[in-house]
Amino acid sequence: MDSKGAIRKYLAALLVQKGDPRAFDDDTPLLLGGRLDSIDTVEIILFLENEFHIQIAKDGFQRTQLDTVNSIDALVRASRPAAD
Amino acid sequence: MSSQTSVLGAAVRGTRALPFRLIPRIETYPQVVSFAQTLPGQASLLVVFGALYALTNPEALPLVLCLALITWMPFKRHQLVSVSTVVFAVLVPWTQLSQPVYNAFLIFAVVAIAGVLIWSATARPWSWYGRRPATVLLVGFTVWIVAISTIPWNVFRLAPIWDFTIIFGSYIWFVAYVLVDRQAAPVTQFGLEIGSLRPFWGALYTPFPNGTAYLRRIEAKNAEELAVTQLKGLKLLSWATLISLFSRVWVNCFHGYLRIPYFATTLSMSAHHAAAPWFVCWASLILHFLENVMAGAILGHRIIACCRMAGFDALRNMYRPLSSVTVAEFFNRYYFYYKELLVTFFFFPVFLGQSPRFPKLRLAISIFAAACFGNVFFHFIRNLLYIHDFGLWTALKTFQVFFFYTVVLATAITVSRLRKRKPLPAGFFRGTLCPAFSVCFFYCLLSIFAETNRQYPLVEHLRFLGHLFFLN
Repeated sequence: MDSKGAIRKYLAALLVQKGDPRAFDDDTPLLLGGRLDSIDTVEIILFLENEFHIQIAKDGFQRTQLDTVNSIDALVRASRPAAD
Repeated sequence: MSSQTSVLGAAVRGTRALPFRLIPRIETYPQVVSFAQTLPGQASLLVVFGALYALTNPEALPLVLCLALITWMPFKRHQLVSVSTVVFAVLVPWTQLSQPVYNAFLIFAVVAIAGVLIWSATARPWSWYGRRPATVLLVGFTVWIVAISTIPWNVFRLAPIWDFTIIFGSYIWFVAYVLVDRQAAPVTQFGLEIGSLRPFWGALYTPFPNGTAYLRRIEAKNAEELAVTQLKGLKLLSWATLISLFSRVWVNCFHGYLRIPYFATTLSMSAHHAAAPWFVCWASLILHFLENVMAGAILGHRIIACCRMAGFDALRNMYRPLSSVTVAEFFNRYYFYYKELLVTFFFFPVFLGQSPRFPKLRLAISIFAAACFGNVFFHFIRNLLYIHDFGLWTALKTFQVFFFYTVVLATAITVSRLRKRKPLPAGFFRGTLCPAFSVCFFYCLLSIFAETNRQYPLVEHLRFLGHLFFLN
């Protein structure tokens, strides 16, 4: 599964766990739309670190980077070592 | 009236009857949304909004005038938000201030310095300051406060230095948000930044909502989105007004008719060794907790309602806190934008700066950085006048009650987040009511210590707690 697919699957499971089974696409704002909160962003970061073995840089980090599937995927790509 | 409107909504849509709502979801009625996009519709919306706002606030007229300009010139929204912010910062309070010109000069000086800080961080993003501008701002301001309150240089004793510091302190979190926003995703326009420095829809110490990047993403992009956002604003203000009316009846009933004393009174009686009977103390504490919830809801709803009327579809500040089933959830729902501030400036910098090798320790340290250290820091620098009057050391010493509160709060949130969650039992009573009651009970007791007025030492607050459980 590509990174975007894994992210999509994880977010769907997280939303269902929160009692929100509504569908979403790759550009649906999940944080700004109020469907996920800052506690969930911690879970997402832990998932990204474990799943993709990345370390997200604290300088310049904004939670809006975890708002949509596409923005999370972009964050994963930017956080991977250049050789990857 | 509300039920009539609800029935009307169902009739307008010509569909099945909707479940009863005290305030109907008018933003979902197509005809209402269409009407709200027309000139008469916008004018009606503004008049109703202004009338409701005027019930509890004398500044309704300038507010509605600003909102009208923003509504009718959405292509100039950013500039008009900035102009409205300047109007509300300088002109609206003009007659209430003893030295309005001096106050205006100080505000412009603060904004000018904020502009230099923002420009420096944007122009040199790779520099030491540009990589961590918000941290430098907060540490720098702390050093400045320590300097002016402890170093015996005569220049620091000058009143204008303190006046400037106090006003800068009221802007500091707004400036910090602009710095963080521009660091993450620099934008070429600079229109909204000035408007987001204590915006006209509500200038507390906590930015509502958080930052310009957020504002840019949630603003209405077309006439229909603006109409929906404004209808949601009107609905939220209606809620604020209803809660406000209810709280007046509440106060008259419990504190007037039943003569249950306010919490401040029972705490004072306890501190003077003349405690009220235990059941009176319990009653006053429970009322105090619930009144704080109502006051928070009224304030937050009113500010977000104005923000929505300006075309920004911000999330509510408070959302059903009494239905929270965990301590962490209550903290998230009770004062959303303050929690967001703590998370942005304290939790995430600490969390992302630690090794992921010890996940539980990492989470615990980050929660303490936000809920304890950040919480204390925010409230400590909020009351600079106290430091000016009594000195830094006295201000620190007398902050022990709030410090205790934050330690207990951070510990509870940490435990709430780290313990393995079992699925909640089925059924309303065991699955929802019992956990929600437990959480409210915890926060109700904790509210004994959520005091920043430094009136009594910690031992007196503990004495009051003991009195509730017959321990003294």
